[in-house]
Amino acid sequence: MLNDSDKAYYRALQALGEKDYRAAAGFLKSVENQFADKPELRILKESVELLLTVKDEMYELENETIEIEEILINGQETEFL
Amino acid sequence: MSRLKTLRKLESTLESFLTRVVEAEQGRMNSLSSVDTLDEIARDSLKGRIVNNRLGDWFANNRNTVEKKQLDMSSIESIGNLLSDIRSGLDPADPISRKLSDQIDKWREEGIIPRRKLILKMSKKAPDEDFLGKFMDFMGREKELFDSGEFEGRHLLSILDDVLKSAEAKEDTMFLHLAGSMIYFLKMNGYKVTPFAKRLKEIENIRLRGRNAK
Repeated sequence: MLNDSDKAYYRALQALGEKDYRAAAGFLKSVENQFADKPELRILKESVELLLTVKDEMYELENETIEIEEILINGQETEFL
Repeated sequence: MSRLKTLRKLESTLESFLTRVVEAEQGRMNSLSSVDTLDEIARDSLKGRIVNNRLGDWFANNRNTVEKKQLDMSSIESIGNLLSDIRSGLDPADPISRKLSDQIDKWREEGIIPRRKLILKMSKKAPDEDFLGKFMDFMGREKELFDSGEFEGRHLLSILDDVLKSAEAKEDTMFLHLAGSMIYFLKMNGYKVTPFAKRLKEIENIRLRGRNAK
């Protein structure tokens, strides 16, 4: 039978080809304890996870809500704080 | 450079790196895809499912790649082992299964796929002097069991079911030996024995776990 590590690597490459980075990270994480003698798989896993972190961070920055409070003093417009 | 710009640059660099990894591994992916499909077929075959059509399709899609040795050695070895697993589950009475078995045999004979490696290991302790005697004892007791008339008029498959139940319930390893022997005899005569062989293996594993726990 195909070993778990090869199977997960294949599924991860498939997911990467489809740009499904979250699925790829999941497949690589499921066999991370078998990466001891495969540093290239560890690099691949770390790269995918870093990319996901970057994407999450970008999403937060792009969707930051800016709250603006208008303060009126004596009926006159003032600067926004 | 703003934080967002830096992140975008990092995102693009990582995506480009991963795309190149996938491109560089395309050959390996093709190999793994071929082995993965065959692996699924072998798993279903071991569950007793009919896999003729899928195996036929697999041969049609992968014949050239395998015959022209376009796969790496580890994939070829995996394919050889998986085809051996599948072959043992094919029904010799069915013409399509026979054709597929012949194809597997042909590949083996031509050295396209390796034969399954079978490593026999013997314990280091001194050989038991009465080893042959023990074997003869099993054979003798097995004959006695059949001579007792307990199984008279019943089909061998139904007797095998009883023997496996005894192997599960009793400490006497003679029942394991008898079940193995009956399974092999049935297989030699064209019966589908995969589910029985699987049961025997499970009983052996349970015993092994029990022995290791002691």
